[in-house]
Order: sequence, then structure tokens, then C-alpha cells
Amino acid sequence: MLARTNVLLRLKSSLRALVLPVLILSVWWFITYLGLVSAVILPSPEKVIQTFVTFANNGQLWFNLSVSFGRVVKGFLIGVSAGLCIGSLMGASRLAEKLIGPLFHAVRQVPILGWIPLLILVFGIKENSKIAFIALGSFYPMALNTFEGARSLKKEYYEVARVFEYTKFRLVTTFLLPAAVPAILTGIRTSLSESWMLVVGAEMFASSFGGIGEMIWLAKDAFHIHIVLMGIICIGTVGFVFNWTIGLLEVRLLQWRKPA
Amino acid sequence: MSQEQAGTLAINNLSKHFTVEGSQIPILEDVNLSVKPGEFVSIIGPSGCGKTTLMRMLVGLESNYQGDIILNGKKLNGPSINRGVVFQDHRLLPWLTIEKNIGLGLLSKKYDKKSRTEIVQQHIDLVGLQGFEKAYPYQVSGGMAQRASIARSLVNRPEILLLDEPLGALDALTRMYMQQELERIWDLEKITMIMITHDVEEAVFLSDRIVIISNRPGRIKKIIPVPLPRPRERASFDFMRIKEEVLKEFQLHAEHQFSYAI
Repeated sequence: MLARTNVLLRLKSSLRALVLPVLILSVWWFITYLGLVSAVILPSPEKVIQTFVTFANNGQLWFNLSVSFGRVVKGFLIGVSAGLCIGSLMGASRLAEKLIGPLFHAVRQVPILGWIPLLILVFGIKENSKIAFIALGSFYPMALNTFEGARSLKKEYYEVARVFEYTKFRLVTTFLLPAAVPAILTGIRTSLSESWMLVVGAEMFASSFGGIGEMIWLAKDAFHIHIVLMGIICIGTVGFVFNWTIGLLEVRLLQWRKPA
Repeated sequence: MSQEQAGTLAINNLSKHFTVEGSQIPILEDVNLSVKPGEFVSIIGPSGCGKTTLMRMLVGLESNYQGDIILNGKKLNGPSINRGVVFQDHRLLPWLTIEKNIGLGLLSKKYDKKSRTEIVQQHIDLVGLQGFEKAYPYQVSGGMAQRASIARSLVNRPEILLLDEPLGALDALTRMYMQQELERIWDLEKITMIMITHDVEEAVFLSDRIVIISNRPGRIKKIIPVPLPRPRERASFDFMRIKEEVLKEFQLHAEHQFSYAI
């Protein structure tokens, strides 16, 4: 009985989430159906769906998505691991914070796009500069969130650790890092969506050898707006799936939190 | 240094001051107290009298003071796993279950997994938390959280248990119930307990001796023994008389004790 009402409630909320997309889709369909805008500038939804089916069938879409995904995974893993290390180091040790903190906060002010020329000069125009770009973009949110998460441990718990004669290592593993988990998850969430956004950009600024960003960029040059639109929708969907996955991870890892 | 029986505490000529804007403000002055093994001593005083500071010194969290604190013939030097502490706020880690929280006390010593589980279960039984092993702190009541905190402080078999207003955050009925529980645990474990409290009845109910601290600077004003048989009857004449005696020290006793409403 209770399970059934639960399912109904969930169904209701997912239906509500669909209201706006369906509305936009209908307006879009109507505009193209009535021919209010040239089909070259705004292709019909059917055309975009057709494009999707074609690209899915001939493998172009999966190839480009997997190329982009591979770059995200590499860059994200590098950036997030570095962020976790630097963040927990600064969170656990006042000395490390004093040494690293000022430089970290100063360099953080440089917009991520400002690094592109330097990264291309150092890492070349191919894969490495793209991965470095993504790594850099996912590093900051991760480092910042881990640092703040580790600092969120109340000083009362340090006293508990002292009474139990914990080593510094045990203090970090048993108290500091678990306390930082909610913030770390926020960091992962931000870093992942940042990486996904940056990969698309990176594939546009430099010769790319595949990738969803390049696919859109080349389609734009050929004035294939239907491919551009299809690509944008795919990028959005993948981003949504990423976010949703992290959401599931949060539910699993944060069971100890009082439900709001 | 002489080897004394475990749980013997001696406080000798203890003084402590804070420095505020260059001038020294005395917090505690010339505190002397000795506690026998297995004794239950309450320290009671008005708020701001330095009793919490005294507790922090006994725990080892304050180290800048004059005089000595000697436990089992050894001078205190920082916090130690041999002194259990129960804080007013239970300080359980919110991301660990009750069972894992209680196990935290065992991490600094080498135990195999089996004996660790065994010790934790014994203490869960001791404080009466059976059935809540897998619960998270937010899922249990304040009284149960404090039981878990007491269990956590007892798992290493400390020589002395320091209680800093352990029941202060609980409602009146839960508090009375927890006082009985604390007495039962004290009786079972035969452990020296020193408790800071501001609840006179609690002090009379639990203590062998009540130490009254005066305000600014904190000095031992009086030590009142409570030679009543246990478990104590809160409504008995002797209980009331001792309670009056304590209250008198705070100028809180009724001027006309005997009134007849017949």
C-alpha cells in the first residue's frame, strides 16, 4: 500500500519534470510545422530525431561520444585525485594551508579559458592539452570542496581524538575525511559537470580527432543545424545522466544524514 | 614515585588563571582533593566557577596551570586513553553507527576483530542499547546517545571516568532515569568516577562526596560526604537533609523549613 503510493508520487513528480520539455518541444514543432522559420535555420524535431537515428546507426555518434568520454575520464581522474590530495593536505595541516593556500587562491582567479594558450604551448595541440585542460578545470572545485569539508570537523571531535590517543593518520582517516564526504561529493559533482563542459570546448578550440564538440563544430561550418541541435541534446543528456549518477552515490554514502 | 592503586587521583595546590588584556584573572585557586579508587565524587558550583576548566585539566586538554594532578602516582601529561571522558554533548560521529562509535575507543590498542566485536557488544549490553547497534546517532534519543557515549568511554577499561555534566542536556525524567543507570554502571564496573554537575539532586543521588566550588576564583568551599545507603530514596528525610545542606552553600535553602499545612 505504502509502496504503491510511493510509486505514484514518484510518477507524479517525474511527470511534472516533463511538462516544460514537452511544452518547448510542441512550440518548436509548431513553428517548423507552420513554416514560420526557414528549415535551414531551425530544422524540425523530426529531422533532428532522424539525424540522431542515422548517426546512431552508422556509429558516428557513439564514436564521437566515446572519444569525448575518454578525455573526460582521464582529465577528471587526474584533476580529482590531485584536488583530493591538495584539498585534504590543506584541510589537515595548518602549515600546508599557509604554504599552499595563498598561491592556490591566487591562481584560482585565472579563468580556465585563460590557460588555453599556455596549455597548447606546453602540451601540444593534440590529446594532452585537452586532458590537461579538463584536469585543471576539475581540480579547483575538488580541492576547494575537500579543503572546506575537512575544515568542517568541529573542534570538539579533535578533543575526542586526543582522548583516544589517535595518531595524526587515524585522525585524518577516521574523523577528517569522513566529515568531508558530503563536501567531497559536491566537489565530484561540480568537477564532473565542469569536465564535461570543458571537453566540448576543448574539442572546438583545437584540432580534435573526434569528439562530440568537434562533431558540432564541423556541422556548424557545413550549416548542418540539425546535427548541431542533435549534438547539443546529446551533450545535455549525458550531463544529466552524470549528475543523476552522483545523486545516487550521495544517497548511498550519506545514509547517516538526518533526512530533511 | 610510589605505585598506587589504579583509580587514585590526587589534586595538589592546583591554580589556574587566564590572561585577559594583560591582566591575570584567577580561575581556580589552591584546589586540593584526593579521590579513592572506586569513589564517586561530584563537583558542583555556580556557572563560571571554573568547574569545566577543572574538568578539562583532569582530562588533559588544559596543561597550563600551577600545582599537580596525580593519577596512580603519576603526574598527568596530556589526554590519555586511561581516563575515560563523557562530554555534555555526546560527541558521537554522525556517520558511524552506534556500534562503530562505541568501537572508536578501541582503535588505539591492538585487538583482533573478534575480541573487538565482543568488547563492543558487552558494553552495548552494559548500557542497555541492545537492538540499536546499527542505528545512526540521529536516529536515537538524547538519552540513548549519551548511553552510547558512556559505553564508548568505558571500552578501554579506563582507570577513572570523568563526566562533564553528562546528563545536563537531557529532559528531567530521562535525566533521573539515567542517574539510576549511571549508578548501576558505576556499581558494576567498580570504577572511580568524577562528575561535574550543576544539579544538586543528581549530586546527592550519585555521590560518595560532593565537592562545592565557590565562585571567582574557584576554591573548594566545602566537601559534603553522602553516607546514605544505595540505591537512594530521593524523597527520604536524609536525602532531603543533605540536599538542603548543599543548597545552603548557595544561599538557596528555604528560611523556614518547617511549615505545617494541616
